[in-house]
Amino acid sequence: MAAISTNPNLPDQASFSTRARKARIKKLLTQIPAYLILSLWSFFTIFVIGWVIISSFKTNAEIFRTVFDLPKVWQFSNYINAWSQGNFALYLRNSVFLTSASVAGLLLISAPAAYVLSRFKFIGRNFLTITFIAGMGIPYSLVLIPLYVIMSRLGLINNLPGLILIYISLSIPFTVYILTGFFVTLPKELEDAAVIDGCNEFQTFWHVMLPLASPGLLTAGIFNAIGMWNEYQLVLVFMGNEEGRTLALGLYSLQNAMQYTGDWVGLFAGVCIIMVPTIVLYVILSEKMIAGITMGAVK
Amino acid sequence: MKPRASMIILFLMPAGLFYLALFLLPAAWAFYYSAFDWSGFSDEMTFVGLGNFVKLLTTDPIFWSSFGNTLKIIFVGGFFTFTLAFLLAMLLNSGIKGKKVFRALIFLPNVIATIALTTMWSFAIFSPRSGVLPNFLKLIGWTSASKFLWMSADHVFWSMLIAIVWINVGYFVVLILAGMDRIPIEFYEAAQLDGASMIQQFFRITLPLMWDVLTVSVVLWSISAIKVFEFPFAYMGAGEDPNLYTIGVYLYIMGFGKRQPIYQLGYATAIGVLMLLLIIVVSIFVRRLMQRESLQY
Repeated sequence: MAAISTNPNLPDQASFSTRARKARIKKLLTQIPAYLILSLWSFFTIFVIGWVIISSFKTNAEIFRTVFDLPKVWQFSNYINAWSQGNFALYLRNSVFLTSASVAGLLLISAPAAYVLSRFKFIGRNFLTITFIAGMGIPYSLVLIPLYVIMSRLGLINNLPGLILIYISLSIPFTVYILTGFFVTLPKELEDAAVIDGCNEFQTFWHVMLPLASPGLLTAGIFNAIGMWNEYQLVLVFMGNEEGRTLALGLYSLQNAMQYTGDWVGLFAGVCIIMVPTIVLYVILSEKMIAGITMGAVK
Repeated sequence: MKPRASMIILFLMPAGLFYLALFLLPAAWAFYYSAFDWSGFSDEMTFVGLGNFVKLLTTDPIFWSSFGNTLKIIFVGGFFTFTLAFLLAMLLNSGIKGKKVFRALIFLPNVIATIALTTMWSFAIFSPRSGVLPNFLKLIGWTSASKFLWMSADHVFWSMLIAIVWINVGYFVVLILAGMDRIPIEFYEAAQLDGASMIQQFFRITLPLMWDVLTVSVVLWSISAIKVFEFPFAYMGAGEDPNLYTIGVYLYIMGFGKRQPIYQLGYATAIGVLMLLLIIVVSIFVRRLMQRESLQY
């Protein structure tokens, strides 16, 4: 279009550009419903999250009296209470420890397995790959009771190391699935070059292939970290004592006790403590995460 | 490169052992436990064969109502989730500015802990006195609607379904959009030249060319709807309302109880076995039902 309108020989240049402008305006007008609906949907989400954050700084009385107002005095004490009396300092420490140890252990054992499954040819490879990935279809609920029996025999009920083992084991199918997808895409020549340069198989994996697959490790790491940080079903079953509660389970029990405590602002502060870290991570990495979601489902 | 067997074994071993011991073995063990009447974590187990399944399917009204709720989530929830996800994906793809920002915001609930989302919906949105929704309706003068009881026994399941749909729409918008983005723009330009309407374009181009993505999405939705536990179990805070039971919640209640332990371990495991069978049947059924000649382009 630019080429046409700069052509001086074109007689009706002026009328053409008005037509272009009209077309643009018409396009904008037809897009108004799209903007409107998308904005409403997005606004609702932001509003609800923002409302909870702001309400976590109110007093319990304000929650009921001035629903849509800002707090008169910002009650930072809600967080101090949640932190010390509500034990959220402990819960946060447990969540951080549980999530980071589980993700590290998970990647450490899943990456070599995914590497071998995706790059080596050997008898039974397909069978093993399918077996590894099949776990994605098995609901956690099915294994809860047998797993409880196994873990209690091993004396690993009600402690964090036991929970880490469970998190690692149950996350292997998804993680191997994601990582094989990444290892498959790496060019064969790099492996050959590493061997020619005198790397043994382990060195090739550790120094060449693993660094190249780091985007995959990051994707698998983020998804598992968010999943483990957020999940409460397994902690509910396998963590009986208060000492080992995570943020998710702490918030669950806080929510459960609401009918006795009526501490709305404490509850909302708890929501913010568990929600803000994942939202921040998402703001930084949203493109990568959204790309990760579509991996596998969309070829 | 010729791999050594020892290296293959060494690399597969750690993940394989964990997976086998703490996932596959318990899953297989579940089938064994489901054949026993077993209350409490004691050693007293009575073999009942298929007795648990017979009891579940013939004499347990709570199982059937939980199963009914699971089906409502799959079908009613699925209908609204996919309708809205398609609508939003198409709006996002209509050449608007800020597509990525809108997409990121629509997806946002999926990174927030389920327990935080249940708190939001039951204590910040639907709550009769302090909730955002009733107060907003009151503010705009729609008093009758503002008195609607979202959390009463009749409505609580459906209000929960609204929340579940809201979360999942974001996830499926991302998948559907990725499927749509693969379709070459020339197809639409050609169709527009031939005078095809938007609706025709959707049914003749968009839908057929992303059928494989839709199939995967429907399978993923069904599996996650069958498994669902965290949202209904914590919705409204109490978790004791049978109106909200899904098979996942009922399994937990039978196995571990809520405040009073029940410990019907064999019975609960039988529900888990049914859940797995349901997942397998639905996955095969959806794939068969949606099977079409795949289009290459």
